Amino acid sequence: MEMWTNIRIGLGLLVLIIGILFFLLEIIGIIKYKFLLNRMHAAGMGDTMGICLSLFGLMIINGLDFTTAKLFMVILFLWFASPTASHLISRLEAATDEELGRHVRIDIEKEELEK
Amino acid sequence: MMQVMDSILTVILIILALLTLVCMIKAVIGPRVGDRIVCVNMMGTMVMTIIAILAIKMKEGYLVDICIIYAMISFLAVVVLCKVYMGVYAARRERIRSKQRKEDVEASANESAESTMSVDGKQGDESKNGTMECSEKEAK
Repeated sequence: MEMWTNIRIGLGLLVLIIGILFFLLEIIGIIKYKFLLNRMHAAGMGDTMGICLSLFGLMIINGLDFTTAKLFMVILFLWFASPTASHLISRLEAATDEELGRHVRIDIEKEELEK
Repeated sequence: MMQVMDSILTVILIILALLTLVCMIKAVIGPRVGDRIVCVNMMGTMVMTIIAILAIKMKEGYLVDICIIYAMISFLAVVVLCKVYMGVYAARRERIRSKQRKEDVEASANESAESTMSVDGKQGDESKNGTMECSEKEAK
């Protein structure tokens, strides 16, 4: 029984550390890229994959509990909230950047974005 | 094993705190508003992870509730900031546009004033001629 607990905690810590590595990658991407839509690619990776792996690791460490259900609720909320936030930020950037055509190709009228 | 887990979680907490600090510096030097909002969103994510790790480390399950509330408030902050800056940008552009429109109107008004002045001059001549003819007729 003791052995199984140790294996569970070790597995959870491994998954948690992989999640923290995703956060490190996020920071490296934020520093490396120069344009905001590239930066959002890196940030979105950390927002979804990093925190999902971290909280899954914590769930494995914690075992079957009410706290685990609440951690799963956090993950569920982030799955909906993070893409919405990314969409809003990219829309803001595309609407307010005067020199957007220097970085990306624009196929639609800019007036449509400012609503 | 519990002591090992505690020490590893402490190291992870320190790493996350350093990453949050880097995020904050990036939010200060980010050149555009969008960069700052992305960095604030990232900071919220990392603080949520820190709170969840603390909840497991201290064995206090109710800290996860704070994590949920933090997620909701962070999302709300991003939405509100985006909407506010979109409104600020629209207002600034509208001001610039109205100024341009006013200048255009003034320029066209000057042009039309000149043209009407010339037209008035012609009309004045004609009317003068007309009055002169009238006065001649009256004289006859």
